[in-house]
Amino acid sequence: MENTQTQANQSQKLMIFVLSMALYGLATLFTELIPSFQVGIVELSVEFFLFIPLTLAMLFDPLSAALGAATGEVVFSEIMLGQFGGLGELEKFLTVTIGVYVAGRMVKDPRNMKQVAVAAITGTALQLAMGMIVDICKVEFAIEEFEAVAGLPESVYFTEGFAFLNDLLFSGILFCLLPTMFLVPRLYGKIEPLLGMEPRTEKTYLGDINFKTVIVLIVGFALALVSQMAAESGMTLIEWEFAWAESFESIIFGIFAAAVLAVVALLVLRRKQNKVSE
Amino acid sequence: MTKKLSTNILDKLSIDYLRNQVLKNAYGNLDTVIAKRDPRVLLIWYLFFGLVPWFVDDLYFLMACFVLVLVTTYLAKITALVLFVFAIGVFSQSGYLFIVSLFFGGDVNTLIPLLILTLKVSTCSLASITVFSGLDPDRLANGLMWFNFPERLSFSISYAYRMLPLLMSEFQNVLLSFRMRGKAPSSEGFKGKVQYLIYQVKMIMQSFYPLMLNVAKRSRTTVEALEIRGYRNAATSKEVRKLKLADLQFTYDDALFIALSILWITAILLIKR
Repeated sequence: MENTQTQANQSQKLMIFVLSMALYGLATLFTELIPSFQVGIVELSVEFFLFIPLTLAMLFDPLSAALGAATGEVVFSEIMLGQFGGLGELEKFLTVTIGVYVAGRMVKDPRNMKQVAVAAITGTALQLAMGMIVDICKVEFAIEEFEAVAGLPESVYFTEGFAFLNDLLFSGILFCLLPTMFLVPRLYGKIEPLLGMEPRTEKTYLGDINFKTVIVLIVGFALALVSQMAAESGMTLIEWEFAWAESFESIIFGIFAAAVLAVVALLVLRRKQNKVSE
Repeated sequence: MTKKLSTNILDKLSIDYLRNQVLKNAYGNLDTVIAKRDPRVLLIWYLFFGLVPWFVDDLYFLMACFVLVLVTTYLAKITALVLFVFAIGVFSQSGYLFIVSLFFGGDVNTLIPLLILTLKVSTCSLASITVFSGLDPDRLANGLMWFNFPERLSFSISYAYRMLPLLMSEFQNVLLSFRMRGKAPSSEGFKGKVQYLIYQVKMIMQSFYPLMLNVAKRSRTTVEALEIRGYRNAATSKEVRKLKLADLQFTYDDALFIALSILWITAILLIKR
């Protein structure tokens, strides 16, 4: 009996995953569509519904809630709206997962408001800081001779740093800290029975964040960074091949000729097939 | 004038409108050239046009890619809303960066690398719009499954498309009932506008309380239904996978699609020399 209480079983984990995915996905879908408010130069981006997975991660199994939220964001707002950014989404996925997971692990007792508050703001800050670092790297890669363009490096550092502080102080407090502190104590003890679980107490929580967890989290962030860094290595690889293949032009011409042949052959085959089927 | 404009935009942004657009985007155009392509072919195609432009600085190549994805986006008949979001995204990213770089001593020369960056960003995102918006979600999920993406991802995509309309109307109902019971502050003057905004945001936050409870119930029902049908076993079973992927077919048209893309890009590269 005790076993079933301390840890959520597989199907309960799936329930948490689905719950977090549906809610956070819905919320990010709205923020993707609604333009952000602008008050002077301060941009009040309402892009922050992070309180939903934060709340869920504090009440339920943090890993399922975190993964569900990250998947929800990718599936609902990126893939459904066709905003999928390829490799870049991996970074968003991992940073959201790490931020939410850490916040969820930090809370021993969801009734303790101080713990909830500290965890909520830490998780948000973590996610934003990782996003900022990766963003800066991304711009540095996309533009060749980044340093040579007048005023560009400073402006990137400035906008990114400003966005970080702005997001943390405005969206972070307004849309992450306050709603989480509002929702967690109200939902505590009410939402768990709906999934057939016991509320989290000091006894049933997963334990303090230990050394191993930190290592895994750092590896996760490194992976997020590497997914962006892949740019540079990919670039040198291509350049190296170009230098090696002196007859680049003839290769292109070869591909071109092959493509022409392929198009003609395919058109003929297609017509034949259509005739047969008629 | 500005008031009229803002109410106009707010009308457009009603939840009903959003729901219709999203549904139209997902299920509205199943008979386009793009939607009929084999999802595997489109994913490979996307892998090229979503990645390669980032690493290449050749202007001709970038323009060629951009024109090609523009044509495919047109062929996929993407809904207006998605294109609008795309345009806002691209403009706000590069435009903002340019304006700020002016403060730090940038000039027109800063504009050129930024234009190249914009070209790259828009090529990659149009390619993704073509593939992920143009394809029917079920086919997309199957295509991802064929490439051995985690089963959870395919499940999430199928689930999202079916549940989203329900979730949206539920959210709308909760919001409406909040609105009926409360009294909105008047939005006259600057102070009133701020108060109204705070009221709106607070209402949205609070409505997540009942919504969370409702969705918790719903997700329990979903998972129980899945378990009854042996979902967790099916997710790992090879035979089920084979059955699911049986309707993926590589046709001549798919090959033609790839061949024409290659033809166009190499032709541009040859003309340039």
